[in-house]
Amino acid sequence: MLRRITIPLLIPLLALGGGAWVTAGAALAGQADLARVAPATATLAPGGVLNERTDTTTPAAVTLNGAGANSIEPFFQRVFYDYNKANSQTTVNYSPAGSSVGVADIEQNTVNFGDSEIPMASTDLAEATAGKIIQIPVDLGGVAVSYNLPGIKQGKLKLDGPTLAAIFDGTITNWDDSRIAQVSGLKDLPNLTIVPVHRADSSGPGWDLDAYLIRTTRAWVSAIGTSKPSKTWPLPNVGVGEQLNSGVATYIHQTPGAIGYVEYAYAFQSGFTNVALKNLAGRFLLPSERSIAAAGTNSPKIGAFRFDIIDRPGVGTYPLANFSWTLVYRKQPNLDTGIALGKLLYYVVTQGQKAAAALGYAPMPAVDVQLAVSGIEEVETSMGARLFAS
Amino acid sequence: MSSISPGRLRSSDPAVGVRDTLARRRRGSRGRVYSASRWIAAGLFALLLVSLVVSLATGADQAFAHSGIGFVWSGTWNPAASEYGAGILVVGTLVTTGVAMLLVVPVGLGAAAFLSELAPRWLAGPLSAAIDLLAAIPSIVVGLWGLIVLSPLFARDVEPALSSVPLASWFFHGHAYGPGILLASVVLAVMTLPTVVALSRTALGGVAVADREAALALGATRWQVVRRAVIPGARSGIAAAITLAMGRALGESIAVAMVIGNEPSIPHSLIGPGATLGSAIINQFAEANPGLGASSIVALAVVLLALTVAVNLGGQALLRANAARLLTRERIPS
Repeated sequence: MLRRITIPLLIPLLALGGGAWVTAGAALAGQADLARVAPATATLAPGGVLNERTDTTTPAAVTLNGAGANSIEPFFQRVFYDYNKANSQTTVNYSPAGSSVGVADIEQNTVNFGDSEIPMASTDLAEATAGKIIQIPVDLGGVAVSYNLPGIKQGKLKLDGPTLAAIFDGTITNWDDSRIAQVSGLKDLPNLTIVPVHRADSSGPGWDLDAYLIRTTRAWVSAIGTSKPSKTWPLPNVGVGEQLNSGVATYIHQTPGAIGYVEYAYAFQSGFTNVALKNLAGRFLLPSERSIAAAGTNSPKIGAFRFDIIDRPGVGTYPLANFSWTLVYRKQPNLDTGIALGKLLYYVVTQGQKAAAALGYAPMPAVDVQLAVSGIEEVETSMGARLFAS
Repeated sequence: MSSISPGRLRSSDPAVGVRDTLARRRRGSRGRVYSASRWIAAGLFALLLVSLVVSLATGADQAFAHSGIGFVWSGTWNPAASEYGAGILVVGTLVTTGVAMLLVVPVGLGAAAFLSELAPRWLAGPLSAAIDLLAAIPSIVVGLWGLIVLSPLFARDVEPALSSVPLASWFFHGHAYGPGILLASVVLAVMTLPTVVALSRTALGGVAVADREAALALGATRWQVVRRAVIPGARSGIAAAITLAMGRALGESIAVAMVIGNEPSIPHSLIGPGATLGSAIINQFAEANPGLGASSIVALAVVLLALTVAVNLGGQALLRANAARLLTRERIPS
């Protein structure tokens, strides 16, 4: 009788096991690192020239895995899908678990690329286990301070650094406080308790807002006890903490009186009402493709160690903007993976930027695209030969 | 009958044949493989458990070296400022679990008593199946439901209503955010209710029929039978059910993290946001600063493990006491 039960069970189990074995074998074969390693004497870069029009290499089927920032997820989802439609042999998986996860994963070399809103500092780079990491700007985004106040339309609520700091450190507790009325010029604010919402996990948007408040408000610096911005929200005792941009967005959406920071792409797609923040030139600006792009163009000489574009000068500059940085190892031991990665990133920083505006980001200025391309061109084989000809 | 010893058995005795065969089987190779594999399996499991504890202890080493045993009850939890102390989180964990148990025990016990004693059979079957299905819902789904459905309901209606009740306002005051200790406790109660109902029902069902009949013979009403004869008789089984549910509630992380508001400060009101050990681990583990930060997260895990093990051991001890008692019939306690 036992036989009558086990044999029908064995057949599907064996089929499942066999299927798993075959796919695992195929995946491992793709990773086989002896398969194609460029000889040190090759004079022509194996990846060819990075150019969207000519493609001289025959592509192999590659799956690329990445992890990192939650804030860039809408953009990546779109460009990776578009890239896969045009180049079906390259499949990309991206896990938007958070910037810190991306950094940790690329340090451990468990993903092909990571992404972080805040580039790695030299202490993090020293922790990398597989060599030098190149940091490439791939996207220009902004942080919206969204609020839920029935009756106060988009653009009406104007706030500056000190008022916002007072809200987030619990000094101002009600929307009808005179300070808010004074800064924003609104006379009919409702009598509603303010609920400040922050990210319970660490985040790039949190770093951006923290840096803005540090720069504009001395009271904030004394409240948090440091003048160094931090990815983990420094005052978790005020208000409510939620996980990821989606958690914050959900809470703001369902709670009248809530105010919190989310990546602008999320606020844009959810149709949130956002605060018009006071920039360095004294103007109150809403986050938009134009104001975020202005932050990018008014910050010409950025690099992985000069990445801060918070509160930049310029009349049309939105103060809470940041680039998103993709992290890849300079030495790519597997030729196919390295070439696919380079071409993917090249697409993202050139043609992929066209998708940015529709999603709530801004296309990168040309000078930053050039920086990204020169970063991609640094990728080399394990022997030291460049993968792409410049 | 003369005493039987191996050497003196007569070959015609049937017991001899059976005993000899069994002894031969034990001595044979198959018997040795079987007993060896039993030892190996038990050893592997013990090794797994020990290595888990050892690796946690090693990881937490730096945090405990930095703060000493005071880490367990010391004040602030603020990773941004590199201040690591589990005290507030332990309080938050105990408070949420405590309130969840206050909600679960009456409801769960009542449901179990109803299912076991009072419900007609056509109702008891489907109802207990439905309660068991509740146990199968993944924690994150319950957490998401809590955030999306319950949270606005609590913020709009439930919490303001509670704060306006005169005596209760000592517990429920402050602004009704939605996410908070009360909401987290309700979510935990929903998750642990099936455990309590199922195990209590078993315990109640295990009370001897004679005890119920004796109570009825003495003129007790159905409610009095349940209250005086059945529940006291199942007391240790019910207590075991509660401690096992508590063990689950203590360790629940993701659902709690979504609905508790993540504010690591001493809660002054059940409506306000709080933080627990599990929620702090979930929020920080992926990004803790290497060194003291990562070690502090592991130290939180050690504290949580110690709490949960203590509660589970208590529950198991009570279950064993109940099982032993079921074998020996007891008089109705007077």
